[in-house]
Amino acid sequence: MNILTGLLNGAISGATPILLAALGGAFTFYAGVFNIAMEGMMLMAAFCAVWGSFAFGSWLAGVLLAILGALALALIFIIFAVWLDTDEFVTGIALNLFTLGATTYLLRQSFGVKGVFAGPGIDPIPRLHLPLLADVPLLGAVLSGQNLMVYAAALATLISAFLVFRTSFGLRLRAAGYNAASLDSSGVSSARMRVYALLLCGVLCGLAGAFLSLGYVTLFSENMSAGRGWISLAAIILVNGNPWGVAIISLLFGFADVLGLLLQSYQVPSQFTAMTPYLATLAALYFYARRHRKERGYVNR
Amino acid sequence: MARVLNAALGVLIALVLGALIMLAQGYDPPASYTALFQFSLGSPYALATTFKNAVPLVLTGLSAAIAFASGPVNLGQPGQLLIGALAATIAGLYLDLPPLAMIPTLALLAIAAGALWSGLAALLRQAFGMSEFIVTLMLNIVADYFTLWAITYPFKDAAAYSPMTPPIATSGWLPELGDWNSAVFWMLAATALMWFLLARTRPGYEWRIGGQNSLFARLGGCPVDRNFILVMLLTGALAGLAGGLLIMGGPHRFLRGLGANYAWDGVMIAIVANNSLPGVLAYGLFFAAIQTGALGMELITAVPSEIVMVLQGALVLVIVASREALHQLADRLAARRQAQRRAKQAPLLESVEQP
Repeated sequence: MNILTGLLNGAISGATPILLAALGGAFTFYAGVFNIAMEGMMLMAAFCAVWGSFAFGSWLAGVLLAILGALALALIFIIFAVWLDTDEFVTGIALNLFTLGATTYLLRQSFGVKGVFAGPGIDPIPRLHLPLLADVPLLGAVLSGQNLMVYAAALATLISAFLVFRTSFGLRLRAAGYNAASLDSSGVSSARMRVYALLLCGVLCGLAGAFLSLGYVTLFSENMSAGRGWISLAAIILVNGNPWGVAIISLLFGFADVLGLLLQSYQVPSQFTAMTPYLATLAALYFYARRHRKERGYVNR
Repeated sequence: MARVLNAALGVLIALVLGALIMLAQGYDPPASYTALFQFSLGSPYALATTFKNAVPLVLTGLSAAIAFASGPVNLGQPGQLLIGALAATIAGLYLDLPPLAMIPTLALLAIAAGALWSGLAALLRQAFGMSEFIVTLMLNIVADYFTLWAITYPFKDAAAYSPMTPPIATSGWLPELGDWNSAVFWMLAATALMWFLLARTRPGYEWRIGGQNSLFARLGGCPVDRNFILVMLLTGALAGLAGGLLIMGGPHRFLRGLGANYAWDGVMIAIVANNSLPGVLAYGLFFAAIQTGALGMELITAVPSEIVMVLQGALVLVIVASREALHQLADRLAARRQAQRRAKQAPLLESVEQP
């Protein structure tokens, strides 16, 4: 029983950053933006979260700064890709590279350390104990006592699904991606919808980054997003952006994460167990590709 | 001409941005930049070091540029470099041939290993239709952990405390000519060869056309699928060679974190060079210069050497933006010219239509 709840808890905390970033990416996916800057936004947010939490001694300040940091990157993306109309792929890659450099530099500059910054001064995001749910038999240990950001992610899934499928905003968002010209001709600016989508993506990636450095662990290390932004991109592609699908896929990746940890106790070298989420992504892509092979027709791309 | 202007503008703006950051934090920008270029270009030895450090940057840059220009989104240079370096290291540990045979053997093994790693992505794409974009990214991380395992357990130097292999046989070390490491000549030869292949031969033409318009290339009779695999293998080979030369020319052993310094530089260089191969050489040397001079700068003016990573990132953003802005400006000017021409012709047309 303890092993099972441990597994579930591990999977949930492994899934949370991927879920939050993927929800952000889902908005841009629907709006027709080829946004690959989630990796950079998460990394910047993770740094800002630690910086804010350390400087102000409060996790709330850390989370707010994380959102601001990710929003700043979203704003640069908007200036380049929406306003200047640069190539979205190139802009995203450039932003990710810039962030990797900037966070490494800032880490050295603000804390005078190379590689990792950890310390008792960083205030982590608290866990939330829900009084009634904790008493539920079997599931109580999973439903209650999770990190605050886990509940935020669950809430974000609900809100995203509602926004995308049940509001006129969501309809316009999807129209911007489906047929921008016809949305423009009906009097709604598709460029504005893309801007909204990118800003929402910034907020959600900010939460994802804050969870990485203040929830999952309480430290910042160079390049700590470690490909999670790319995994969340894969998750979005696999389910065509549907928030519920994104949640399920993220949980699967979370399980792959835990599976790796479990294998470690069977004497498998840690270098191999660390590969599991990435190998799981490859496996997921394989099943996706096989399902879509017929639909794609003759053009190779 | 416009391209050179764009490049000069981008470099200038990025350097000014860097100077502003330094000023904001109380450093002395002119002294820092003087030290930066003093330690990278200021003496024959510094220049030779810069060229040597440019080898992995230029080779991975060529790899990315050829891939992007031809269509395949090969973002796997970091992984292909690591696997190539591992192959050269392992062969260098167990083989001991005369240098004339040893060096080409190790280089060929590195090339083959890099091509194998990118070929895996090409195979997954061709057999199952898995996008090479995410596959190469995931394989990067897999290669990273795999090489770390290889140097932690099976090939670890028993005398070392941190994960690293013993040094390879000295017959596999690239010879030094004075200050100049012969890896530099491999780099220049590879650049010239790749330029010739892409600009002056039929396969190169087919690849570039395929990159610009895959459907047009297919209708024109190019074997698009075969070209995809060839380009993936070639670009993997280039990145693998970069890894092999890194081992044979530099530390002569596989150290932990070997590839981390070059992880995204190839892609970055290909992007700022807009996939032009001479541009890759030029930007590769420039990036190597600022990376090489960074430590000297830190020594003299105490500016953290990591600022170079910020400079590089800013450079990419600025060059991409200014390229696009120049395009838009050119488009707008052309549109205005055309509008003026139409405006001149319009009265004539109206007078014709009225009767």
